[in-house]
Amino acid sequence: MTGFYTWIAELAQRGVLPSDFQYPFLIRGFFCVLVLAPMLGGLSHLVVTRRMAFFSAALGQAALTGVAIGLLIGEPLNAPYGGMFGFCLLATLAMVFVKRHATLPPDTLIGVFHALTLGLGLCLLVAVTRQFNVHQVESVLFGSLLTVTDGDLALLVGVGILVFALLVFQYNRLLMDSLNPPLASIAGGNSAFLEYFFAILLTVSIIVSLKIIGALLVEALIVVPAAAARNVARGTRNYLAWSVVVAFLAGVGGLVISTKLLVPTGGAVVLAVSGIFFVTMAISRVAAGFSRLNAPERGSH
Amino acid sequence: MTQVSEDWLLEIQRLAIHRNREALVDDASLCVGRGTLHVIVGPNGAGKSTLIAAVLGLIPFDGRIVLNWKDSGAIGYVPQTFPVDPTLPVTVEDFLALSRQRRPVCLGLSAQSHRTVSRLLALVGLSGLERRPLAVLSGGELRRVLLAHAMDPEPELLILDEPTSGLDEAAAQWLEETLTTIKRGGRTTILMVSHDLDQVRRIADRVTVLDRRIVAEGPVADILAGATIRDLIPAGSARWRRA
Repeated sequence: MTGFYTWIAELAQRGVLPSDFQYPFLIRGFFCVLVLAPMLGGLSHLVVTRRMAFFSAALGQAALTGVAIGLLIGEPLNAPYGGMFGFCLLATLAMVFVKRHATLPPDTLIGVFHALTLGLGLCLLVAVTRQFNVHQVESVLFGSLLTVTDGDLALLVGVGILVFALLVFQYNRLLMDSLNPPLASIAGGNSAFLEYFFAILLTVSIIVSLKIIGALLVEALIVVPAAAARNVARGTRNYLAWSVVVAFLAGVGGLVISTKLLVPTGGAVVLAVSGIFFVTMAISRVAAGFSRLNAPERGSH
Repeated sequence: MTQVSEDWLLEIQRLAIHRNREALVDDASLCVGRGTLHVIVGPNGAGKSTLIAAVLGLIPFDGRIVLNWKDSGAIGYVPQTFPVDPTLPVTVEDFLALSRQRRPVCLGLSAQSHRTVSRLLALVGLSGLERRPLAVLSGGELRRVLLAHAMDPEPELLILDEPTSGLDEAAAQWLEETLTTIKRGGRTTILMVSHDLDQVRRIADRVTVLDRRIVAEGPVADILAGATIRDLIPAGSARWRRA
């Protein structure tokens, strides 16, 4: 990879690329965004359609606990993936299982898990800070480009390809199950399988995105791109395209903000995506206003 | 293995469905004749939709449900309600293509799906609405789209749960005519839940009166002659005591 980074840096020095591309961490960050945008943007429009925004937030918190567990069992600070994957997948399976078998509303149950994982995570973090400087853990909480390694990028690319490949096979059933589970079931979809399947895909995607976005802020890139897309999209194809475009613009915007203002990447990405959301909302309002103006006048009583 | 007569497509034997130890349907047995339009009537809370859910395999139950397939073995289903998020940008053609193509609809519809969707929409009188979001359809239009969805592939058993509830007179009449036409085609058996006895008299062949148990079952002319739902349920039944 060093040769590749050197080549990109030379292009930046010659003015072919922006001067920021002289730095390997920024090149890695840009490639992370190239993978994250279609992956999280693509998942985003299904997350919102399946009403799993709160579930995603709870998973972000669970990842924090997973990091603490990973560090306590001796994993390296820059890659506590064993703890994250182990704990988050366990939390995901437990949440889906309880949601499917309990009679309480799903958001109430997820709220219970949300509180439980966060409480556990905070307790474990106290133990973690006896071994590590708390600022080292901040990068997991809020995301930091400086800590992203080539290994993280490779894992992100691998998971991105896997998520895409698996989603292609189940997309239509997932969407139908989101719209009307009985109709999906009659068409051959297994509602339980689809729920576990999507929850696991989401969990894995969130975990590999954490070092860029951060555990506390990953929810934003899972929910806001689809929310922004809904303001302007017509049709499923358009909805997916807008979700990905918004995620990509937020990622690139976040990188720029992060490097120029020296703020955590996760926070910068959230600022960017939130800004885009309000722009799309304004566009939607203006478009609706024009539609009303152009609509045939109706008689009043 | 239960032997099912050639004349029956669906046979329900001693069906019992419980939720929280309460019997929603108890000891219900009925047969639906092949090629007939069979309607289940009953008051609110009688277990009509629950029985349909059991036939569709959506809920656990005790007893036996036997389907004697001879043709496609396909079930079409029109649910009683279909809540659509008002901001959901899924169009009519996206929805109709979801169960019909392998390629994700977010990557576009195949030429075959386009043709099928056009044919289905023409069947229900909604040609030209392919690109309209589901969320902006009227109740009648949405019911037609759901019927279009249920009609492909051509079902051997078409199940409709209160298909005319919330529809205006013209839309209800259109649906009645369409169901009559489908039945005349002879390849689809229709099982329908309804609370509108006048409609049932107009279109049904046989009727089952359900009040958690089967109260009456037979040809529509025999069972519904001049009756109201209240007349059909015995005065001493648990239904009226609850009321």
